[in-house]
Amino acid sequence: MTAVIARNLEKRFGRTIGLDGIDLDIPTGSTTAILGPNGAGKSTLLRLIAGLARPSGGSLEVGGQPAHGRTARARVGFIGHATGLYPELTARENLIFAARLRGVGDATKRIETQLAEAGLTRAADRRTGEFSRGMAQRLSIAVGLIDDPEIVLLDEPFTGLDGMASNRLVERLKGLRRRNRTLVLVSHDVALAAQLADAAVVLRRGRIAHRESGDPLDPKILENAYSAASNLGVS
Amino acid sequence: MNALLAVLWKDLLTEWRSRDRAVAMLLFSMLMVVIFHFSLPGGATTATRAYAPGLLWVAFVFSALLGLGRSFAIELENDAIERLARAPVDRGWVLLGKTLANLVILAFVQAITVCVFALVFEMDLTPIALELAGVVALGSLGLCSVGTFFAAVAVRTRFREVMLPLLALPFYTPVLIAASRATNSLFETGAVSFEPIQFLIVTDASYLIASFILSDFILDE
Repeated sequence: MTAVIARNLEKRFGRTIGLDGIDLDIPTGSTTAILGPNGAGKSTLLRLIAGLARPSGGSLEVGGQPAHGRTARARVGFIGHATGLYPELTARENLIFAARLRGVGDATKRIETQLAEAGLTRAADRRTGEFSRGMAQRLSIAVGLIDDPEIVLLDEPFTGLDGMASNRLVERLKGLRRRNRTLVLVSHDVALAAQLADAAVVLRRGRIAHRESGDPLDPKILENAYSAASNLGVS
Repeated sequence: MNALLAVLWKDLLTEWRSRDRAVAMLLFSMLMVVIFHFSLPGGATTATRAYAPGLLWVAFVFSALLGLGRSFAIELENDAIERLARAPVDRGWVLLGKTLANLVILAFVQAITVCVFALVFEMDLTPIALELAGVVALGSLGLCSVGTFFAAVAVRTRFREVMLPLLALPFYTPVLIAASRATNSLFETGAVSFEPIQFLIVTDASYLIASFILSDFILDE
């Protein structure tokens, strides 16, 4: 089974080309890292898969459905740069809102589980405006996983997390992988991507410059591909 | 429908905690009522009371624009708008939830504004309170439906504070004409004429349906 299929995928912003002829298959249950320098199109690709924008050309399917449709949106959890939290609401209320918006059935139990897994049970009734960056990021991840999505998209999820929280997130992602969830991870951290992913694509100026698969991935090969894409000339 | 209720709950709870929109709208409409009172020759006379429906709706429309501008701006904080856009429902329900939340907040502001207006212009509105509430609700639904839609359009533009009135005011014109006429007949005769009410119902329905259908495009990046 293939979770995400992109064929000749294009995204333009006026005259600027964001993505140019991307062909990509992401198998169900795999963890795919999307690497590349700034402006390579990593986040654009992720946002198209998340249904946040429409392709300018080509096709993109998530779970056999057009990525932009609501059926595809129901399958995808998105954890972005920004936390997406409402500072006036408490952690629990943010989770309640996310659960209601995404139609989660047994929300109370799910919310308590998410709070516990994020290590925020004691801070559940505090307004998120008072949260540190790390706490907000942990809650943002809990919100993104509230409906236990089949496909989890992560755009630089380690931003703002300290060492302990990063380790906890790594364990959480490994747990999702064990439960056959499909993970797509955008990162600048090649070593971390190699540790977590079993497939990787390196983007350069909106095109796929390098593909790699294997479990585990060879960090050296990835580092070289990343450096070449970044025009650093590292051998 | 669940998404509608979720957005309504979230928006009202957020507003209850921050009170930033309601307070700003209330202060603005109070200021307008006071300015009208002191700028009209002779104060609260029968002649000036003839202007009352128009003045009331001027206060309503500008305080509504002030609040509507903020309704999507709060979604930009921490990029929460992405979560709304990714909800696995027709995005029209999300927009409708925000429209209803805006309507509730505006209704709160309007209730206080009308009381102060009646006090300042020495008008006894109690015999027509129910009918007035109905007319104001119909007019406000039109303002909020099209206003919320354009607030969502304007929120990602560079000059969103300017864009919202520019986009919304032409669509407000028919609502304001009908609402002012209905309010005027209510103030003069104590009864509402059917024609402007019929027009308001049709306009409200058109705006709600159009914004529901088009909502799928406006929440895209």
